[in-house]
Amino acid sequence: MRWQFFLYLTLSFFSAAPVFAHGAAIEHRRTSAIEIRATYDSGEPMANAQVTVYAPSDPTKPWLKGTTTEEGTFVFVPDPDISGDWDVKVRQSGHGDLVSIPVENTEATTAANQAQASDSWRGGNYTPLQKAMMAALGIWGFIGTALFFARNQSEKK
Amino acid sequence: MVKQQVLLTAFAIGLPLFTLGCGGTTPSDEETTTSESPSTSGSGTITLVANGEDFVRQGFVTKDGWQVDFDHVYVTLNDVTAYQSEPAFDPDQDQDIQAKNEVTLVSEPTTVDLAAGGAEAAPIQVTEEKASPGMYNALAWQLVTPEAGDVNSAMVLEGTAQKEDRTIDFVLNLDKPLAYQCGEYVGDARKGFLEADTQTELETTFHFDHIFGDAEAPADDAINTGAVGFDPMAELADNGSLNVDLATLEQELSPENYQTLEKAIQGLGHVGEGHCKETEA
Repeated sequence: MRWQFFLYLTLSFFSAAPVFAHGAAIEHRRTSAIEIRATYDSGEPMANAQVTVYAPSDPTKPWLKGTTTEEGTFVFVPDPDISGDWDVKVRQSGHGDLVSIPVENTEATTAANQAQASDSWRGGNYTPLQKAMMAALGIWGFIGTALFFARNQSEKK
Repeated sequence: MVKQQVLLTAFAIGLPLFTLGCGGTTPSDEETTTSESPSTSGSGTITLVANGEDFVRQGFVTKDGWQVDFDHVYVTLNDVTAYQSEPAFDPDQDQDIQAKNEVTLVSEPTTVDLAAGGAEAAPIQVTEEKASPGMYNALAWQLVTPEAGDVNSAMVLEGTAQKEDRTIDFVLNLDKPLAYQCGEYVGDARKGFLEADTQTELETTFHFDHIFGDAEAPADDAINTGAVGFDPMAELADNGSLNVDLATLEQELSPENYQTLEKAIQGLGHVGEGHCKETEA
């Protein structure tokens, strides 16, 4: 019986989720930023131009305001929950332009990412090896119990 | 025999547990999404305005120092159509307006005076038309020669130019038919969103600083380097009066100046600050 005890102990060690009392964690995720570059017809950058971003959920109200860099660029990260055409308006000194940028399928992708992240926080994110170990332990428990009673009955006979 | 029965019982109990333990994530109930199509019932009103901006209403100083004030600026519009374009129309790209809905706003030559109403006047209302709800993000329009009335050119500029001790009363008959395809209006506010029982405004905008330049802009700014100014026209004036048409200007101006003027006229049409694509009229 001693070897069975050590076998249980060994399997339990490998199947247990690691726990560290004072650990720190850094999570990260990839996001999709949009960079625009505004120029005049001459090719000269529209430096420090006024930028207004409109989300497709409410295209009549500015979602974000800012200014371009000296190179006429501007970077923003659209809300991944809002798919559709994101409109960006750039104006300077009586000149202006507006561009529609389609942002699609971000909602589903984000939902999947969020689901994965929330799984890990709930502690249910076992590896396949750990799951297999736990299942094997459960089965071994039933078999061991069955063998134990079977041995007692055969000894009585 | 008993041992086999016990083993079978153990497997019978254990296997379902094994399946449960290793089973993949149970898919959540399929989300039922419903999307409501945008309301197409009812209609709203599109108001079309023509705007010569403060350059026309309040006057301005040209790139070569002439104070220009306008009495009348007549433009004749025709075939004005508002579109719901999908995708949005970009006049800088080699593409046409992809209309999923359109409404004709002007179907016969209509002349308006952009200088009417004085210095603080609002843009000139051209017409109002009922239209189905939606986002009207593209506009096509033409400048045409009037078929009747006193105005006989697609565009007529009447006013006074002053510089130092010279004053010139001018009438410029710029009869050059043009056609424009434009995207969405670009300005302080967004225009073109029409809901049932509401009103929205669309605008044809004329940038006359493209012809004369703007003293408030740097000399090397594109608005000035691409403008002809007023000096070349002032040289054609006789006794403080100048009344010319495009044919005369083509004859009298230097080829370079006339080319610049012609190009500036072609670039007059805008939607607010947004550029338009000039097409064949």
